[in-house]
Amino acid sequence: MTGRTAALAEVTVTYSGEAPMATVASRVASAARTWRSTYRLSDYANVLFLVPATFFFVGWQIYPIIRVFVLSFTDYKYLERNPPNFVGLQNYINALNDPLFHVGMLRAFAFTVAFVPLTILIPLVLAVLIDRVTTPWLSSFYRIILLIPAVIPGPLVFVLWKWLFDFQIGPVNTILVEWLGLFNRQTAPQWLGGTPLSLPAVVIMEVWWGLGYHTMFFLAGLAAIPKDLSEQARIDGANEWQLLWRVTVPRLLPILSILVVLRFGTAMSVIDEYLIFGGFQRTSPTYSWTVYMYDLAFRIGDWLQGYAAAIGWLGAAVMMVFVVGMLYVFRSRD
Amino acid sequence: MAVTIQRHHRRRFPTGLIAKHVVINLGVAIILLPLIWVLLMSVKSLPESYTTNFWPRQFDFSHYGFVLTRIQTLPQNMFNSIFVTLATVAITTFCAILGGYALVHVRLPGRMLLIWLLIASLFFPTRLLSLISIYEIQRQLGLLNTVVGLIFPYVTLNLAVSILIMRGIFEQLPHELVEASRIDGCGPWRTLFLVLLPLLLNGIVVVSMVNFVGVWGEYLLAVTLTNDQATRTLPVVLASAHSGMGQWAYPRIAAVYVIAVTPGIIIFALFQRLYFKGLTEGAIKL
Repeated sequence: MTGRTAALAEVTVTYSGEAPMATVASRVASAARTWRSTYRLSDYANVLFLVPATFFFVGWQIYPIIRVFVLSFTDYKYLERNPPNFVGLQNYINALNDPLFHVGMLRAFAFTVAFVPLTILIPLVLAVLIDRVTTPWLSSFYRIILLIPAVIPGPLVFVLWKWLFDFQIGPVNTILVEWLGLFNRQTAPQWLGGTPLSLPAVVIMEVWWGLGYHTMFFLAGLAAIPKDLSEQARIDGANEWQLLWRVTVPRLLPILSILVVLRFGTAMSVIDEYLIFGGFQRTSPTYSWTVYMYDLAFRIGDWLQGYAAAIGWLGAAVMMVFVVGMLYVFRSRD
Repeated sequence: MAVTIQRHHRRRFPTGLIAKHVVINLGVAIILLPLIWVLLMSVKSLPESYTTNFWPRQFDFSHYGFVLTRIQTLPQNMFNSIFVTLATVAITTFCAILGGYALVHVRLPGRMLLIWLLIASLFFPTRLLSLISIYEIQRQLGLLNTVVGLIFPYVTLNLAVSILIMRGIFEQLPHELVEASRIDGCGPWRTLFLVLLPLLLNGIVVVSMVNFVGVWGEYLLAVTLTNDQATRTLPVVLASAHSGMGQWAYPRIAAVYVIAVTPGIIIFALFQRLYFKGLTEGAIKL
């Protein structure tokens, strides 16, 4: 989870469905090739351009990740003075037999399975509808509203929803009790504090957060579909549902699949919202493998960072298996 | 044929149209209501804030003054957030311009490998895994519990995506321009800073926005790497202020919240046109 604006950009940089763009890019690229072959500066001097980025990447991403990998084979405890011992695969074996790790992975999967379809289907429907709004001012009004949640940084969204779900003053319960009359003040749902409802609460919040930018994203994809295509289908007697599933969705499929993979990755490694919503209660459905890793690394005992590192790498490995699998499946369908 | 289509349309027209607008406006309401709620909360009187009224009976604007003057560390926290955000956005944008340029306009060994590594890193939970050892690194560098120290890991948060965006922008620039500049005797550095820089505005706006949103609200690293109230940033303060009592009474936190969220919305409103232009230009094909 980085900012949602970043997420929007991520999808855009990993996939652009517009063919003309690709042609322009390839033309520029071939021009670049001819130009480069006549260029005389030493190739290696150009590495200087990458020095600033490399400094930060190496210091605060590549080195820490390698270090965490090395730690995962030791019994390293951060607060302990004795030097760590090499323990081979013991941490990984322990993790595979650790019920908290199992349940943590299952919780992450439960969240992902609930969140990813909703955060893609709801914006898809909304985008299809907004795409048909023909009044220009109304259509740009909708687009501006949709973007507001995307410029609110994630943790600030989580803080806001923590208040919205508050048992006493939260408007979610006010709506359920006073407006809809589904509960009374005593029987109103407890959304927070590690109850079973904590997970749906996080899902609802995440879907809200993604509603705007995913819709905007699909709108951009829809704009690339030629209008006469759907006109033709209508004349041929297709109803709106058939149009959606037979014409629109297949055209959006490349964007959809990249979005599914990226969202899967963010959903499985969610941590900030779990910390803000559920804290470190082990029984809470928000105590996922990510929270367990954090708990081990910075809170439990002497900060069991060796074990935490193994949990982290194991979780990441499981994620990567799914990500690579999904990329493979989506790719072969093209 | 034409007649049947027309009849078909006339029959469906009202229900379809109404249903469409109901669904769209429901979506709009769902997006706006939470934000309107927190805005209204920030102008409710203290006693009324504990009731479930949506619309305040009486508007009380004193909370904004209160949080800015009476909560002692808050101005410091705001300064921390502004400082860290501006520094990170500036550094990341600089790194991304140089990186994007290197990946497009100069001959570079291992260029494609670098691009694939950058794309692959978007799918890997780097932020989560690196956290364990970033704590240790920051302690060794004496950067633990400092505001300046946060800048280093913050730069890496969105650096890969920033470089990829800038690469897309550079690919859109006419190559004749670069060549003309070379014939006029400019080296690659002068070409970048004297000729190309003014043309990168859209890309700079996108990269700055992406990093602004990512850093302005960053929580995980900030809460892990700082522990004094004076070194904390706004999101950490907001996330830990949940008692609903005293200086953190709901309307007061709500006022802090509105102060924290508004800059992003204003900046975005100002730059949204450039932002979308930049975003489409920065697109590449996988």
